[in-house]
Amino acid sequence: MTLILDILSTAAILFIVSAGLLAIFGVLKIINFAHGAWLTIGAYCAVVVAGLGINPWCALPLAFVVGAALGGLTEHFIVRPLYRRPLDAILATWGLGIVIGQLITLWFGRDVQFTPALLAGAVTAFDVTYSLYRLFAIVAALILGLGFAFLLDGTRLGLSARAVIMNETLARALGIDTEKVRLATFMSGTGLAALAGVLLAPLTSVDPNMGVAWLTGAFMLVMVAGSSFGALAAACLVFGAAQVLISIYFSPVVGGMAVAVLCAVTLRIRPKGFARA
Amino acid sequence: MKHRIIALALASTAFATVAYAEDPIKIGVPVGLSGANSVVAPSVVQAAELAVEEINANGGVLGRQLQLEIADDASGAAGAQKAFDALVFQKEVNVVISMETSAARNAGLPIISKGDVPYIYTSFYEGKSCNTNLFVNAWVPEQQVPPVVDNFVNKQGAKKFFLIGSDYSFGRGMLTFAKDYITKTGAEVVGEDYLPMDGSDWTAIISKVKSSGADAIITSTAGGAPNVTLTKQLRSAGINVPYGNLAVDEGTAKSMGAEAKDIFLSASYVTGIDSAENKSFLTAMEEKFGKDMRTPNDLSVPQYEAIYLYKAAVEKAGSTDTAGVVEALPSVSFKGPRGEISMSKQHHAPLTMYLGQVKDDGSVAVVDSFKDVDPGDQCPNL
Repeated sequence: MTLILDILSTAAILFIVSAGLLAIFGVLKIINFAHGAWLTIGAYCAVVVAGLGINPWCALPLAFVVGAALGGLTEHFIVRPLYRRPLDAILATWGLGIVIGQLITLWFGRDVQFTPALLAGAVTAFDVTYSLYRLFAIVAALILGLGFAFLLDGTRLGLSARAVIMNETLARALGIDTEKVRLATFMSGTGLAALAGVLLAPLTSVDPNMGVAWLTGAFMLVMVAGSSFGALAAACLVFGAAQVLISIYFSPVVGGMAVAVLCAVTLRIRPKGFARA
Repeated sequence: MKHRIIALALASTAFATVAYAEDPIKIGVPVGLSGANSVVAPSVVQAAELAVEEINANGGVLGRQLQLEIADDASGAAGAQKAFDALVFQKEVNVVISMETSAARNAGLPIISKGDVPYIYTSFYEGKSCNTNLFVNAWVPEQQVPPVVDNFVNKQGAKKFFLIGSDYSFGRGMLTFAKDYITKTGAEVVGEDYLPMDGSDWTAIISKVKSSGADAIITSTAGGAPNVTLTKQLRSAGINVPYGNLAVDEGTAKSMGAEAKDIFLSASYVTGIDSAENKSFLTAMEEKFGKDMRTPNDLSVPQYEAIYLYKAAVEKAGSTDTAGVVEALPSVSFKGPRGEISMSKQHHAPLTMYLGQVKDDGSVAVVDSFKDVDPGDQCPNL
């Protein structure tokens, strides 16, 4: 039972962290290499909220707003001018990530910061004691996934986004304002990344470089998933399970490599990854 | 014309001699200003600055002022190589006194030998690092582990230990020693697992701990982030067995607050040491740094004492020549915040160790103390 919960919660956390990156990759076709920096920004929002003595749950909407606002500025000043040069845009986001990391260090210092747990303690059910917060992460990931499904299928923005994902030039020819779609998607993706940062903070230490470690894993998962959230969920589940099982039965050091290696192998065997044809 | 040249020559020789006598003694301090040690480095630098300021105010060493040369070793081997090269060959320091990761120390040692300067290593480490120029005034596993294990076995009735560490020389070295020691006491080691130094997901290991039926945990992770992530995740998984942390410092424990409650730590320095030297040291630190003061800890206080030990050795040898200093260092001592310190046993120092337990406000209460614990045979060939 513990094993199943471990797998589900690991997959859930991977999904929460990668969802924002996937949204941006699907529509804008670039990888936001500053994704790790946005995770860090979100976590530091939680630190600020804790420092001000406000209810820690307020960090969630705050982080989304801050992340989205910064994303809007980034999209306008950095990504949009480089629209015809996607490789340069990717490089620019990498640089941006470094700059953000250093700014955080300058402002907050290099020290590890602490945030109060959103949900403390463990809960006992079915003969097993499990961390309440990890169970919450599973619920959060489900809400997130369903939220995106609704967004894509049930809203106008989602419809436009799907059109841009399929063929941007054609979408523009049909009168869809692709610039607005790109902006909205980038802002949602970065807002989501910041949100993920808040959710990560109770599980890990908050320091200026905390996001970097998650970037590689998220990047690999997005590469394998293509542009579908369903595919991302599947990838997170499969690779999360692999990471947990390998860590338990072989060694955590090898388990840490599991996601990256499996992604590379999967893409070699099936270049479309988990995406449907 | 000839007289003028001779006069000029004599004058410049006089100048040169005067200049030489005023030359400061340079102390090289390569330390992790960036990287894994960046959280601790400021406290180490502060301790060094206080020692130098105090000694200079009292006339310096052999009439010469002390000068600190600080370099960033990025907490790793590559950075240490650059830092040591710069200090030993460019700045031509007279001695290297610093706290570093084992990776950095191992990278710096060949440069120490090539440049032939004394090197006082002020960080606790996994032991058995030997070099004619290397001296250590901080603890090794033989001094730090027994207090924790003995307490768990004798006072808490622990029989099954689970060992968790970060995958590098310190993490593995400490736990290898701990495993041997635990088995010698008759208890059992039911698990031993490591994560890479930057790993933060302890889920699999925590599940293993639960299924192994362990009634005590001993951890030796890299300082800073891994300590925090592991403690948070252990506590939120509901694991409350006695938890001995071989690598946490008072400052980190204090900021972890309630989550660090009941963690046992074993150190040669805690701020609560009740001695005149420690009290005046803490007062001097507060006066010099005020609200910027970083909590003195088991990595920064040895730095302070090492500079005084170097002073004693130079005064005993009568000069800063490496050969003389290296010969004098094992026989000099200094009474500092940790008591009377002398690197007399194979270049390592017998130390008084304190077993502490974190209280619910994050402060450390001394549970037991062990006077002059022997470091064992670290370098039998020196």
